[in-house]
Amino acid sequence: MSGRWLAGKVAAALLTFAFVLVFNFFLFRVMGDPTTQLARLPQATPEELQQLRHNYGLDKPLMGQFVDYVGDTGRLDLGLSQRSRQPVWSEIKDALPWTLLLVGTGTLLATVIGSWLGVVAATRRGKRTDDGLLGFSLFTYAAPEYWIGIILILVFAVWIPIFPSGLQVTPGVQFSGFFSNAWDVAKHLVLPATAMTLMLLGQYFLIMRSSMVDVLTEDFITVKRATGLPWERVVRRHAVPNALLPLVTLSAIQFGAVVGGAITIETIFSWPGLGELSFQAINDKDFPVLEGTFLVFSAGVILANLLADCLYFYLDPRVQSR
Amino acid sequence: MRLKRVWTVTGLLVATVALGVGVASAGGASGSKQGDSILKIGWAQNPSTINPYVGQDEEAFSIWAINWDLLVNFSPKDLSPTPGIAESWDISDDKKTVTFHLDPNAKWSDGQPITSEDVKYSLEVLGSKGALFTSYTDNITSIETPNADTVVIHTKRPDARIVGGLFIYILPKHVWGKVPVGDLTGSYKPELPLVGSGPFIVTDFEPNRITKMEKNPNFRGPEPKFDEIQFIRYGNQDAAERALQVGEVDMVPEVSAAGFARLGDQPNIETLRASSPAYTQMAFNSCSTKICPDAQYNPAIQDLAVRQATAYAVDRERINQIAARDTSFEAHGMLPSFYKSFYEVPADDYPYDPEKAKQILDDAGWQDNGDSPRTKGGQELKFNLYVRSESPYDIQAAKLVAEQAKAVGIEYDVQVVSTDKLYDLTVRKVNGKPAPDYDTFIWGWGGDPYDPSFLLSVLTTGEIGGSSDSYYSNPTYDRLFKQQAGSFDTAQRKGIIQRMVALTQHDLPYLVITYDPNLEAYRTDRVANVEPTCPEDSTGDAICDQTSYEPLLTIAPGSSSGESGGGGSGIAIAVVAVVVVGVGAFFVIRARRRRDSEPLELDE
Repeated sequence: MSGRWLAGKVAAALLTFAFVLVFNFFLFRVMGDPTTQLARLPQATPEELQQLRHNYGLDKPLMGQFVDYVGDTGRLDLGLSQRSRQPVWSEIKDALPWTLLLVGTGTLLATVIGSWLGVVAATRRGKRTDDGLLGFSLFTYAAPEYWIGIILILVFAVWIPIFPSGLQVTPGVQFSGFFSNAWDVAKHLVLPATAMTLMLLGQYFLIMRSSMVDVLTEDFITVKRATGLPWERVVRRHAVPNALLPLVTLSAIQFGAVVGGAITIETIFSWPGLGELSFQAINDKDFPVLEGTFLVFSAGVILANLLADCLYFYLDPRVQSR
Repeated sequence: MRLKRVWTVTGLLVATVALGVGVASAGGASGSKQGDSILKIGWAQNPSTINPYVGQDEEAFSIWAINWDLLVNFSPKDLSPTPGIAESWDISDDKKTVTFHLDPNAKWSDGQPITSEDVKYSLEVLGSKGALFTSYTDNITSIETPNADTVVIHTKRPDARIVGGLFIYILPKHVWGKVPVGDLTGSYKPELPLVGSGPFIVTDFEPNRITKMEKNPNFRGPEPKFDEIQFIRYGNQDAAERALQVGEVDMVPEVSAAGFARLGDQPNIETLRASSPAYTQMAFNSCSTKICPDAQYNPAIQDLAVRQATAYAVDRERINQIAARDTSFEAHGMLPSFYKSFYEVPADDYPYDPEKAKQILDDAGWQDNGDSPRTKGGQELKFNLYVRSESPYDIQAAKLVAEQAKAVGIEYDVQVVSTDKLYDLTVRKVNGKPAPDYDTFIWGWGGDPYDPSFLLSVLTTGEIGGSSDSYYSNPTYDRLFKQQAGSFDTAQRKGIIQRMVALTQHDLPYLVITYDPNLEAYRTDRVANVEPTCPEDSTGDAICDQTSYEPLLTIAPGSSSGESGGGGSGIAIAVVAVVVVGVGAFFVIRARRRRDSEPLELDE
């Protein structure tokens, strides 16, 4: 039963990915003949342009190009970056761990802190703590992330210079070992991860708070309290687990989406992740790289959705019994 | 029970992040020796590649110009020829043969001798296959190497560039010659260290992080004061400027106009406004109906009186003050003042004089219609003025031009378009013939840092279909262009170039508005002996970017060089510790309070 359920989900994910593949292919074809972008050479002769089209396989019929494209993508051959002349996949491979580190840390902290604050606020609904937390989270939710980023840099790198203002590691330094290296990265991670956390915190807080408020008004909570269980225990053992479900979905889906959404933060902090890579690719009109990053972003969202479904299956007995 | 699972999942996530720090940071370590003095330069972009066969970035040129010599280098003072790979040279009487003499003791950084074969290889192979090096050898008929220390170059016509502008780096043949040309022009990654002849050679190159250059042990000139130069990539100018402010880097060779004013107010930071071989111009569609039968433009733009009136109506200094925040230089003709040996303020300089502009239009029969554009026999002085959305400076300049020209009765309708769109409008073709579709536009050109030939070529008839975007065509100008190219004598060449500038100032295919600056900033506590050098006056470039490595030999470590600012490890540990202890204490206190509270206490 559950195997079939899982297979269904995986099939749906694959179908979505296939659609993305088709869309991505045609998106970059409707922008016109790529050779006009490739060869900004006013003096290029028609023969040279023809040669260029041939080299890139653009003289084949569209269907043939699509088959090549799917095959190449399957082999992780995403073409060559027009700017660096290096394989797009190797550029993505270099940037991906940094994005995962930043987005992972940010999402993790935002989920944990946001949900904890949500619980605190919900159990003190209408009191000053609740009002204060609500105001704070609405503020961080509404504040643009570049503004948060710049304020963090101004305060913690310029006024009180305790953290580096950007980059992911002190450039040009020989580290004595893994831990000194990791410590250096951790120091560089503090400000961008804080910005990321503040950017995401609000929504986790709001979801957790409203979800908790719902659960706390359910009959079984009243029953538990009537049995004489300590309030603390009722909240922790019975209310929170039930309220957590929407949060799990949100954070899994968010994780996929923010892989691409970290563009601003990565740019401000010179963090060499996928966001920065796509920002540069847009600036340089490096279409092969853009095409590659789009594909990775889409794959990230699809994968995260699948993960959310699986987590749900694991956490929610109602899904298992269906 | 379910909650436990959530914690398991959370725990796994934490482990993933911890692992992530490790995986992501692994491989980032690449070392510098303790006690080395390092010059840290922050910039927005690293070169995308350091392979000269395919590299096209300005940043790549900055690196190459330190790593390699040219056959003949440029003196930073006035950009005149000075020994490079060649120690001396003789020019034949007919000026079609130049014999270069190499230093027999010169060695590459790997100890191999520098020979005439290296020169021949570089000129022939890099000069014909390198993306940006192909235009310099057109005139060369053959290159001979009678012995290891002599190179003889024969040309079709006398060509002064053979001595003063053969901008092809001399590469070691024993390194590059063994790689097939097809690979070199593909995705080839040069071997490190990048064997060179300059004062520093690339020892580490990570496109998204850093370019590291260390001292060349076999460099023939005086020993540099720094042991190492690091070019650190920050992704954007803002971030690089911030890094300078907090002391993470010592120098930023390119700052924004906004950053220039801000950094100038900071303690320990000095800013420099250097001239550069670039300008911003307003171009007028000058294409004749013969060359461009299908061009689209208001024919009134080809009335000389209209262009000259526009030139008098526009206050170039005011545009500099407002649009460029007074960081540019008011232009006087199409040759930037950067080319010191050839520059002079032309006689026709069009000082701001709106009354004169009105007079010129009146004399030419353009009838004044008050607030509406002037008219003459069905023609109206109403033109489009295209400008690129990517350049806030150009947009602001265009608005000021429109505002000032309106006061004399010429209407410029500013249209902001993408660079691609403007490019398409200027190179448009119909039936294979040029058919530019614009009246006027504002854009800029950047020339070679050592030789004005490229900037001068833009207005030649030969460049129509190539770089020419005004489609200006004047046989006298074309003839003078060829003449200056064959002139080895600087004074004589200056005279010819001045005549070319005078012609364009009269005909006005371009109204050059400002000469673009090169804005630099450095920390006075980290680097010493920073002087405006290129050219040798108050507007000189302090590091002679892409032109000469000589300033890098004199720039020295400052009083507190080597201290890295920002992110002091001790303080960071303290802050983290305080946060951890604080959070811990909070939980302990809270837990105590909970234990004391009544178990049955209801919260309502």
